[in-house]
Amino acid sequence: MRQRTWFLVLVFFLIPGLPACRKKSVAAKTDPLLRAYDVETDPSDPQRVVPLNYQQAQGKRVFYRNCVWCHADATPAGPSNRSNLTPAPPLMNDGETFNSLSDEFLENTITLGGSAMGKSAMMPPWGRTLTRDEIVAVIAYVRAIAQPPYQPPARPGLRYSAK
Amino acid sequence: MSSKDEEMGKISHGMRLVFALSSVVFVAVLAVSPVKDLRQEWKQSKRGYVRYAQTRADTRRLLADYHPEIDQIWIPEMNVVDRCTTCHQGITEASLADPSVPQPFRSHPPIPHHVRDWGCTVCHRGQGAATEAAEAHETTLAWEQPLLPMRYIQASCGMCHRDTRPEAPLLNRGRRLLARLNCAGCHGLSGIERPDMLGPDLTNIGTKVRREWLYKWLKEPRTILDSSGNVTVDGYEEQPRMPQFRLNEQELRDLSAFLSSLRAKPVEPPKFDPRVVAAWEKKPDLVEQGEVRFRQMFCSTCHPLAVTRAGETKLIGGDVGPELTKVGSKVDSDWLAAWLRNPQAYLPLSEMPRYQWSDEDLYKVVHYITTKLADPDLLSDVPALESPTPDEIRTGRRLFLEKGCAGCHAVQGMSPQKDFGPDLSNLGGKNVSQLEFGNSTIPRNLISYIQAKITDPLSVNRAARMPQYHLEEPDLAAITTALLSMTGTPSSAGLSKLIVPAPRPEFRPAGAFGELYQRYRCYACHRFNGFGSNLAPDLSFEGSRAQRKWIAEFLKNPQTLRPTLTFRMPQFNMTDREAGDIADYLVLVLQSPNVNLESVSSKEFTPQMAGLGKELYEVKYQCQSCHTIGSSGGYVGPNLSNVGNWMNPAWIEEWLKNPQVLVPGTIEPRRELTSQEVTALTAYLLTLRQAGQPKSTAGAVRAGGGR
Repeated sequence: MRQRTWFLVLVFFLIPGLPACRKKSVAAKTDPLLRAYDVETDPSDPQRVVPLNYQQAQGKRVFYRNCVWCHADATPAGPSNRSNLTPAPPLMNDGETFNSLSDEFLENTITLGGSAMGKSAMMPPWGRTLTRDEIVAVIAYVRAIAQPPYQPPARPGLRYSAK
Repeated sequence: MSSKDEEMGKISHGMRLVFALSSVVFVAVLAVSPVKDLRQEWKQSKRGYVRYAQTRADTRRLLADYHPEIDQIWIPEMNVVDRCTTCHQGITEASLADPSVPQPFRSHPPIPHHVRDWGCTVCHRGQGAATEAAEAHETTLAWEQPLLPMRYIQASCGMCHRDTRPEAPLLNRGRRLLARLNCAGCHGLSGIERPDMLGPDLTNIGTKVRREWLYKWLKEPRTILDSSGNVTVDGYEEQPRMPQFRLNEQELRDLSAFLSSLRAKPVEPPKFDPRVVAAWEKKPDLVEQGEVRFRQMFCSTCHPLAVTRAGETKLIGGDVGPELTKVGSKVDSDWLAAWLRNPQAYLPLSEMPRYQWSDEDLYKVVHYITTKLADPDLLSDVPALESPTPDEIRTGRRLFLEKGCAGCHAVQGMSPQKDFGPDLSNLGGKNVSQLEFGNSTIPRNLISYIQAKITDPLSVNRAARMPQYHLEEPDLAAITTALLSMTGTPSSAGLSKLIVPAPRPEFRPAGAFGELYQRYRCYACHRFNGFGSNLAPDLSFEGSRAQRKWIAEFLKNPQTLRPTLTFRMPQFNMTDREAGDIADYLVLVLQSPNVNLESVSSKEFTPQMAGLGKELYEVKYQCQSCHTIGSSGGYVGPNLSNVGNWMNPAWIEEWLKNPQVLVPGTIEPRRELTSQEVTALTAYLLTLRQAGQPKSTAGAVRAGGGR
């Protein structure tokens, strides 16, 4: 009899606590590409697909409109202009060239042109054609597809993302 | 008081213990509530954010706006009550953009809409008012709109931006596909117009193709290349717009019988003089000459052809018209000749231009197409079909309506079916409980439903009438995005004010130019004041750009201006008068308000100016990296070898000052040139002239054939 009372009392007080035991739903594992605004095929490895966020995707769009003609070996229209140029412009995903250059340097080169930064005058200035947001987006895109991958410098307050 | 009463008031030792213990349990249970409150998910992440911020160098800035309550973005006119920022506290902190920052604190990538002005759920969906991650992100019993996966997020752009935004490439691709695959033939779609002609008009199809071909096409509108790039021998088109209908043998026979009986207007065979034909036939290189002519007309600008080069077969050419690799085994040769002479006589709404043909050219090209673009084995696997019986025709006619063929294909005497399939204009906003999954095994969510419906309709519904589409993953994602963007009328007045309607430009010139514009279907490739296609340069301001003489000569003999472009202007064999009429109209009407042709006179330029200009061109600005003069230079911009005869001086000056004003979106960068430099460069460019006929057609053919 006593044991039964005990048991009833326990049960009575434990019931309100039951909902806390419900199973937490586990987020289903999803394809990482489902979490990307846009995707880009790695030019040096067609099997690899790089996810891009909004900014990088805008960079991709600007790149394929304005830059691809000289900074890639294949263009949407077929042949590339790269082979006509000396010195040959770096490829878009050339991490060995770009990774050591700071975002500021790349932004200035795109904005002011090659001659302003001591590079070839064949690189035109884009500062009056593209907006600053577009130029920053192109850099973010180039960082995203860089091979070897780009590691942002470890310092706080980085102005825009690399990946 | 009796001792019994005393006994009653007394509590036994055991009971005391029970009461004492139960009080402790009671207090403990009451304490569960504040502890639970303290341990709530959102409070944990609030504290977690403080802890994380303290590990970083910019703690002070990260915690400047911190307060421990629920954070909420409330925008009543858009129905936005979003508490997402309660956990996603770093969403606007630019320094938290790095992927090493743990979620949910990472900042949002920069987008044009600020989170404080728009909230989160307007684009991302999900339950904004929820304070638990699972409730906010996923489908619950009380909330059926889960987060939109990022892959399809561009659908949210399309909910308001009904016009085309370059920022949302997947959405634009999806909308183009919905239009191109003629989805509007059966479904109501918001923002996708139902064109006057969807699939080809089949009123006279019996005069064009044989019953055997119809049988084969209906059975499987197949591809020449399979998905792994191998050639399928009996195939036809890479990605035909015609989807695959599931027809059984009898249905194939009946439908092909009905269609082959549609021959209301007989073909008028071309009248060639037999003696002349006999003379042409004697030429040993008849087929080769036909091929040269075929290439000169740049049919491949609109029609793809399978070309095998170095063991690899690829479809090469535009996608405006149908694929032609085996068309010689498909169509009747008399029909082909009549079609080439006047396509609009057979299909009044066809975008194919009406070329000027000489009898000899027409004969050669038809001969080339029927002998070289042919495959004798094309119809080898089709069973023997006799001439159609009235019974078959009657059943076929009924099937034509039952299967929904009339949604896309017009047949004279049969009313077109509209709304054959369900209206999809608010599919993207549907709750899962509103979708019919039946007994299918597909996951219960809207995206899986849409994709299963398109790729395998039977998996959703055994009795589906919907045909099957074979789409690659990017195309499927694009169509899904476009369908998800169709959420019907916005839920609030504030949102409906934000809708940006799609522009509906029209350009239908009248008079002599109007007739030629229709005859040569200029708008099928060029754009005029926002109307037309993007395949070729925008001609809205061509009268300001080019000189009249040059336009007239170019129309007669189009030369290659931009060597990298795959698609070339066809040679229409225009008469002098037609070319003159078009040039007159362009020069008089299609003028830019920003160019005053009288403002610059080429007589003012001196050789000194031109000399300075040459130096600027070659050294300071290195224009040769993109433009070719003579035989050296880049491929990006147009060839400038003949620019002195081509462009107006005033246009060149304005262009050098600001190209984007004259052609919005042009990739020529705007530079900071002084007015002296502009004059000098213009003077130099005007000295670049080529005498006589610029380039022979043979050169253009080589360029076209060598692609």
